This record gives sequence, structure tokens and C-alpha cells, in this order.
Amino acid sequence: MTDPVSFPDAVQWAVPFFIAAILAEFLWIVIKGRGGRYETRDALTSLIMGAGNIASGLLLGFIAYAFFMWLWQITPLNLGTSIPVILLCFVLDDLRYYWVHRFGHRIRWVWASHVNHHSSQHYNLTTALRQTWTYTFTFMMVVRAPLILLGFHPAMVLFVGGLNLIYQFWIHTEAIGKMPRWFEAVMNTPSHHRAHHGRNARYLDCNYAGVFIIWDKMFGTFVPEQEDDRVDYGLVHNIGTFNPLRVAFHEWVGIWRDATQPGLSLRQRLAYCFAPPGYSHDGSRDNSEQIKAKHLDRHPEDRGTPGFEQFDVKSPDAPAEQA
Amino acid sequence: MPLEILLVLVVGGIAGIAVLLHLTGKSRLQVLTPDTASEQWLRHFPDDIVVDVTVAHDGHAALVRTDTGAGLIWSFGADTVARHLRDFDWLHHPKGLEVQFHDFGTPHVIVNLDETERSHWQHLMEPA
Ligand SMILES: [Zn+2]
Ligand SMILES: [Zn+2]
Repeated sequence: MTDPVSFPDAVQWAVPFFIAAILAEFLWIVIKGRGGRYETRDALTSLIMGAGNIASGLLLGFIAYAFFMWLWQITPLNLGTSIPVILLCFVLDDLRYYWVHRFGHRIRWVWASHVNHHSSQHYNLTTALRQTWTYTFTFMMVVRAPLILLGFHPAMVLFVGGLNLIYQFWIHTEAIGKMPRWFEAVMNTPSHHRAHHGRNARYLDCNYAGVFIIWDKMFGTFVPEQEDDRVDYGLVHNIGTFNPLRVAFHEWVGIWRDATQPGLSLRQRLAYCFAPPGYSHDGSRDNSEQIKAKHLDRHPEDRGTPGFEQFDVKSPDAPAEQA
Repeated sequence: MPLEILLVLVVGGIAGIAVLLHLTGKSRLQVLTPDTASEQWLRHFPDDIVVDVTVAHDGHAALVRTDTGAGLIWSFGADTVARHLRDFDWLHHPKGLEVQFHDFGTPHVIVNLDETERSHWQHLMEPA
């Protein structure tokens, strides 16, 4: 059976727009003297990561595509390619993005791929392009399986996924403060996504949204950017390299070293691979709950404020504390 | 999009942006003072208590002594990176010292030190 359905590769076509927008943002910062920071090597690394992401898609994309086409062959459903179906596909794929992104922060195996998007201490349009090279190895393509089994054509699913990534480009900026209130309520915005890139205890594990911020509000992970808690961009343990190969693979190397050290039980080895980032068998590292608890020890006044809701205002002993 | 055009756009775009940033002075390293080094250390390790700070003469690195042991903080582009000096080696380097962390994401850093600084730093870096 021939397959007449084809959609353009939206991300590739957006490349000229990305370049123009980066130049415009940089010019804006220079003229206004505010609205963000650029640094040569940081930006260069981010851009090379972006190019490498496209290259890894060209090289490894066939694996996910073969999997999707196999699903497409076994599903009896076909919703066609009408405009309402494409719109529905876009919304459901954004829900898919939310969960993949949430797994990306809560499962170290997936974090090893996603970490490099957060590895810059800067936040500008080039940061948006600091994308993974190793997504295929996370096996997160399985999260798209329900969409295809429901009858959305694989080419359409990939097309709307590309649109989703393109939407997220423009929100990586400090040049825009807040959008109109209705927009901030429904859509992911520069303000919401700045919080997502924060290493401050308050902002850890929040705002996983791609396009619609409503998923975070539905699933309890929304934290609005606070004026009195400026976002400190980057990782809890910032890396000390601009080398794209080290940026792309450092967490995979970390998993390997941790999981293969002598004297661990199988359970501990698996936890080094799949537990939330910050797991350690000897308590020598902190995960995000522990970091938040330690922050509240130093700043009890933050108890119960956005990002710390899970810590009861009344009880003085926060959970998951470690000596 | 044809692959050749994509390639030209990507390579040309990246090179153009990098040259523009460099020529407009965006490659400058952060310069540390004792106060900013201490402030930056607490940004990286908010649980620590800083005891004292020794800044290298070029302001691109500082040795920080804390209640949890000594650490190194250095300029990383416009920002800083910091590490406790726990699992590390140091080597003589023509410019001063090279500190190696056994960490794939933070392999090593070269600290510019003059002769008098070098012996002082070596002394400070010894485990207590
Ligand atoms: Zn993320
Ligand atoms: Zn982002």
C-alpha cells in the first residue's frame, strides 16, 4: 500500500527564522541595555547543540519512524488529515510533550538526554536551540504510541511535534516580561518557562508545559515566576565545559560511573539509572525534595509559598530530610 | 529543504552569530573580587558557610575555604562554576596550576597564578 500522507519538516524550515530572531533579540538587548545576556562560547555551544540535534534526527530518526509506521499498520483506526483532526492532534501531542518532559526531569535515564537543554547559565533564544542529541536512547517515543494507535497518522504526529518545538523557541527570552493576563493563563510564556529553567529550590520540577500551561495547572506542577525570587538559570550542579560532546554525554557517563561502581545491590544500580536525579545510595547527594527541604530550613518564611506547597505550613519537620 | 541549503544556513548562521558576539565584546570572562567570589560560592552551594576567600591576581579564579572544606570557583564565560576540592588532582602548569576533577562534565581548569601565589595556593589546597 502506498502512503500518500506527507507533511513538511517544520523544524528545518524554521532555521532561517531562528537565526533572524536571535539577531533581533541580540540587537534589542544592545540597544535597550536590558532584557537578557549573551556570551560567545555559551551561545556557540547552544547553537552547535541545536545543529547536532537536527543531525541526530537525520541519523537516528528512522528508528522512531519505523516504530510509528509499524503501529500505524496494526491500528484499525484512521482519523484522516482534516484541519480539526490536525488541531486535535496538536493539543493531544502537547499533552504527550508535558509527560515526556516531566519524565525528563524525574527519571534520570531520560534526564540524561534532557539535561543539556538546562546546562546553560544563560537564558536567551540560543538556549532554546540547546537540544539533546540522545533522545532516541530514552525510548520516549513510546509515549507517542497512543496517538498513532488512535488513528493520527505518524507524519502528522511528527509535524505537530515540530510545531510544538517551534512554539517553544520564542519563550526562551528575558526580553519579554509578561504577556496579557488571558495569554499567561492558558499558554506557556517566557515568564512560565523562565521559572522552568531555574535552579532555585522553588522552581525545581515545575512548568513542564510545551504550548499550553494548563497541563501544569491540571497536574499540580505550576509555579508562577516570583518577582522576589529572581530565576537563577542552569543546573543545581552547573557543568564546567563548553565542549558540545561533553555537554551531550556527561549525564550518560555519570549514570555509567554510578551504576557500575563496586559493591552495590541491583536495586541501587537500577536506582542510579531510573530514580529521580539526585539519588545516591549513601545519601551524599540531594534530590529536588531534599533541596527544597534544606531551603526551607534556611528560609522558613518561604514555607507554603509557590513551589513549596507540598511542605505543610504547620509541621516544622519537612519530609525527606537527610543529615 | 535540500540538505546543502540547510547545511549552509546552519554553518553560516552559527559562525556569523559567534563572530558578531565576539566582536561586540561578549567573550569577556567574569572578574571576581573576594565579595563576588563568596556571593557566587553561596549561589552554587547555599548550605555552606564561607570562611575566607583568596582571589587569583587575574580575578578569574578563587580558592574558597568553607565549613565543609576548601573549594575552587572560577570564571566560566560571563558566569562561574564552583567545585569542592574533594576528588581532584593538581598539576604544575606553565601559567600556574591545572586542577583536574574526575568529572566528565567538568574535566579540568587552569588557574593563572604567579610564583608566590602558586606556593600559597598549594598550601591552601592541601586537605586539612
Ligand atoms: Zn526541562
Ligand atoms: Zn527550555
